Amino acid sequence: MTETINLGKALNHGLRRALENDPKVVIMGEDVGKLGGVFRITDGLQKDFGEDRVIDTPLAEAGIIGTAVGLAIRGYRPVCEIQFDGFVFPAYNQIVSQVAKMHYRSKGNVRLPIVIRIPFGGGIGAVEHHSESPEAYFAHTPGLKVVTCANPADAYSMIQQAITSDDPIVFFEPKRRYWEKGEVDLAASLDGAYPLHAARVARPGSAATLLAYGPMVKVALDAAAAAAEDGRELEVIDLRSLSPVDYPTIFESVKRTGRAVVVHEAPGNLGLGAELAARITEECFYFLESPVLRVTGYDIPYPAARAEEEYLPDLDRVLDAVDRAFGW
Amino acid sequence: MSRIKEFNLPDLGEGLTEGEILAWLVKVGDTIELNQPIVEVETAKAAVEIPAKWAGVVTKIFHEAGTVVEVGKPIISIDTDPGAGPVADPAPASVASAASEDPEAGLIGGPAPGGRTAVLVGYGPRTTSAKRRPRSGTATPATNASTATPPAAAAGIPAAPPAMASQDTAAPVRPAPAPVVATIGGPVLAKPPVRKLARDLGVDLATLIGTGPSGSVTRDDVQKAVAQAAAEPDLTAAPALNGAAEAGSREQRIPIKGVRKLTAANMVASAFTAPHVTEFLTVDVTRTVKTLEKLRGRPEFAEQKISPLLLVAKAVLLAIKRYPMVNSTWSGETGEIIVKEYVNLGIAAATERGLIVPNIKDAGRLALPELATALNDLIRTARSGKTPPSDMAGGTFSITNVGVYGVDTGTPILPPGESAILALGAIRPTPWVHNGKIKIRQVTTLGLSFDHRIIDGELGSKFLRDVGAFLSDPKTAMLTWG
Repeated sequence: MTETINLGKALNHGLRRALENDPKVVIMGEDVGKLGGVFRITDGLQKDFGEDRVIDTPLAEAGIIGTAVGLAIRGYRPVCEIQFDGFVFPAYNQIVSQVAKMHYRSKGNVRLPIVIRIPFGGGIGAVEHHSESPEAYFAHTPGLKVVTCANPADAYSMIQQAITSDDPIVFFEPKRRYWEKGEVDLAASLDGAYPLHAARVARPGSAATLLAYGPMVKVALDAAAAAAEDGRELEVIDLRSLSPVDYPTIFESVKRTGRAVVVHEAPGNLGLGAELAARITEECFYFLESPVLRVTGYDIPYPAARAEEEYLPDLDRVLDAVDRAFGW
Repeated sequence: MSRIKEFNLPDLGEGLTEGEILAWLVKVGDTIELNQPIVEVETAKAAVEIPAKWAGVVTKIFHEAGTVVEVGKPIISIDTDPGAGPVADPAPASVASAASEDPEAGLIGGPAPGGRTAVLVGYGPRTTSAKRRPRSGTATPATNASTATPPAAAAGIPAAPPAMASQDTAAPVRPAPAPVVATIGGPVLAKPPVRKLARDLGVDLATLIGTGPSGSVTRDDVQKAVAQAAAEPDLTAAPALNGAAEAGSREQRIPIKGVRKLTAANMVASAFTAPHVTEFLTVDVTRTVKTLEKLRGRPEFAEQKISPLLLVAKAVLLAIKRYPMVNSTWSGETGEIIVKEYVNLGIAAATERGLIVPNIKDAGRLALPELATALNDLIRTARSGKTPPSDMAGGTFSITNVGVYGVDTGTPILPPGESAILALGAIRPTPWVHNGKIKIRQVTTLGLSFDHRIIDGELGSKFLRDVGAFLSDPKTAMLTWG
């Protein structure tokens, strides 16, 4: 039952299936019910599953996550939507202090199967607080798992896998890719699904390894296609899981290609790319033909919408970095 | 695409799904301008005037004032090219909309102006595919990239866009790394995999001259070094001699490495490939010494330290002009003798790390004062240990001034790739027959070694004779040959 649907719709199908499969799954967030979410990711779910399972919350992110902690302790599997990336910070305390710590604090007795969905990244011409990439804050916190999808098929399976996980997971959704279409097998069983915390080689290649996740996977794939025209086959790895990171897949690739370029929207300073570069250098030192390079957002607050195309890493910036990697 | 365009009621605020048309500000047949207010619409939050998106003539108004219209439904159509005559295709644009499942224009997820997808907050993501800016080449070396293109672009690393760069708080532009140039005695430049290879093969990187970017040691350099080492006797692995244990305390063991090892390799390579012949000429250089004294008084040489080496170099350069074959290379691989029309004049220099032979590029083109400057710079750089590898590559003829150590002359060994080398001995006051009488004259001995495969005795002798003739009477020689 393969269908061509967009990423947002794939998430909608995934959430629907999770609600169907487990009566303990509840969805909560701002405007997720009647409106169906500002991006319509939860469209139609309240109508079909009722106000007790798809809950419109007050505009209070700390309250959403705090409530979810209580629900999770009592056996529910809350799936919380933070409406926009920049709105997560009121909930940051709850996430870092409670969600991430409970399992450890209780000597492993209390697990919090909470999924926190956050549309993240820019590219939609939005206003302040609506285009941020806060993934490093969460990936830095032990006790949380952080994942992000880059295509409809992964969106469909990963949201379900995240909901079935007993660990708290911050689930970043590449909001500018919500309307990117792809083939999704809506009948596929989760048992055979690609592991949630495994990276995926999105395009095989031998000349250099591009590491990207979420919205930047498309940019990396575009760059690889352009580089192929020049006779340079780039390998693109979609990280998918940002914590834990699937390092073996990355190391295997970089040892083969000898060059790595990390691409992310978040500012470069202490972003995921910094950690990836350090790990790759430690593990693949004798295989590196060039330093690990980063193509990232600038170290500034996310700019006004009219300037965001200057800010966001694009095809050309990635190709420039690849050129530079070959200059060593 | 039809020139008749339909304008749909836009999403005027978060969550707006419908709006009531309060009043039309235009009527059918009106000519309207871009951005001219055309309709007043009341939403849940406010009454707003909606500007025209296109200039043209109003052809149809879909809803009367007082009607509640859903967001995304057409409210007005405009002929954007009214001068072009009757409309051939009156079909409204929205009929030809995309796949059935896609939301209509203006609704969330539907098409939005500027090739975007409509969203509640923001202009919406672009639906157009990524375009590529024209590129000059693909494999740009780092050193070229840093000069040929703006640093930020070449570097591919974050640098603030121009608008941001002027702000103090903005991230500073990170320049591309300055090209590092390897220097003798400095740290060795090499990529990690090359370092690993060198370590695995037991090659000391410090002994190699890098040929890669910025003078870095490449894989090839390491592999060549291994091949060369295999051809040499392995001195370090020689079996211990009897009695070595007792002698041990009174012997100093100096690891063979660095310039010493390189020198050894070059000398062995040269001595066992090029059949050397050495000829000597003792010559009265009194006039050279006097000429030097006069030159020292001239303003052109005011800042320069000048020595007999300067005029020896000049003598060599002039003699090479007369006998170009002396300035050539035996290329066994290609079966050719390569005669060079330029002279990269090598000068042997003793440094703390050992002997090196940097060369003055295209020395034949330099006037005497320039040659003096080049010589002094070359020697100064060599003594400070900062001679770049490029200065040591490509020599075509060399001079070794062993005279400064007080010896009469030597039988120099050719630097690999060169076909002749001149040794200059000490200049001593010597009893000498001058104009039929024995006088005390300044006399030195020249030693010329040459590659006998290329240079016959006759050519070598003539060359040496001319160098000697110059030194015994530089002024006449300059006037004759210079």
